[in-house]
Amino acid sequence: MFTEAWLTRFQQRLNADQEMAVIGDWFTVSMSLSCDDQRRVLRFERGRLAQTIVTPKLDAPCAFGFRASADIWRRFFSDPPEPLYHDVFAMLMRVPGFVLEGDTLVAMQHARALHRAMRVMRTVTPA
Amino acid sequence: MTLEPIVGRYLRLSVGAADYRIYFEEAGQGIPLLCLHTAGADSRQYRHLMTDEAITAHFRVIAFDLPFHGRSNPPDRWWLEKYRLTTSSYVAFIRAVWHTLGLDRPVVVGCSMGGAVALKLAVDYQHEMRGIVGLESSAHAPGRYNEFLHHPAIHGGELAASYTYGLCAPQSPESSARENWWYYSQAGPGVYAGDVHFYSIDWDGRDAIKAIDTNVCKVSLLTGEYDYSCTPDMTRQVAAAIPGARMVIMKGIGHFPMIENYQLFRQYLLRELEYMRTPSS
Repeated sequence: MFTEAWLTRFQQRLNADQEMAVIGDWFTVSMSLSCDDQRRVLRFERGRLAQTIVTPKLDAPCAFGFRASADIWRRFFSDPPEPLYHDVFAMLMRVPGFVLEGDTLVAMQHARALHRAMRVMRTVTPA
Repeated sequence: MTLEPIVGRYLRLSVGAADYRIYFEEAGQGIPLLCLHTAGADSRQYRHLMTDEAITAHFRVIAFDLPFHGRSNPPDRWWLEKYRLTTSSYVAFIRAVWHTLGLDRPVVVGCSMGGAVALKLAVDYQHEMRGIVGLESSAHAPGRYNEFLHHPAIHGGELAASYTYGLCAPQSPESSARENWWYYSQAGPGVYAGDVHFYSIDWDGRDAIKAIDTNVCKVSLLTGEYDYSCTPDMTRQVAAAIPGARMVIMKGIGHFPMIENYQLFRQYLLRELEYMRTPSS
């Protein structure tokens, strides 16, 4: 799902995002993206996706992350998305297999920028 | 220059022992159409409806800001009590506005928590109403409340706005969804959480709504297919409990039809308002 090539495309799109350039000054945090047994770590610095770690080890801490099955992620990325899968907050409320793990307080402190990042992410179709 | 036909005024009224200064807007002439905004928002959400001549030619459209919302002040000594909207306080306040403005057999349009309390009004005061148009109406909507909605380490305006932004359908015009985002970012601390207390904790009308007689008070239910707060199934349950209720699931619309995509929504709304104008058989 989250291949290196896809991560690169997401990084390019997010770092070119005009809105994130406006709202991202305080968006410095690391988060994970997990799909089944795959896990990636994304390091954001002041709204830019500075680093993606494809095989994170003990030395890649992150505050929070989103975890779901490949089927749930595929439905998130579908265009147009089906109802309940069209937004991360929708999935957190209505899709039991979509999980926000880690420090949810930190995630919600970054709600605006995090939400924007996930909206941009949804436009980058996985292979 | 374009001068919109909406007129805004302030209304002084009392509910219980408290005095209020309430902001309301109106436009048009005819059957009173009382519009109730969503949790943590205000009457600006109805601005498109209030400038739609197809509606204002037949209806006196009125939208007010609840206390603590928009330009309506909280009551005196508000800082000594945690804001928590309840079913009884919400109904009492709507009734106070209704009576003070002298609205004769209005149609009530309410969205989300407004759509929920519209059902309660139809239960308790059906003989004094023409009908309700419930937008995103549910009889019971647990799951929306969380403590982070009012937390010192979180920007409440940005969280509430982001939390509700995804309630819009992905097909809705971006500028309209962002307009609603802006409204949500402007609520006072704890106001959205206090409203959600009504919507998601206090409100349970599942048994009571069975008492609504649609021969007395018409019921139209419009819910967006992308609404994940009041899902289409939740509105179907309401419709199933009220014989004679009309229900439409609106394609390509989310939780805020009157503000997120008015041009699409009005096609659904005009049909129901025509139904409300038709004399009961």
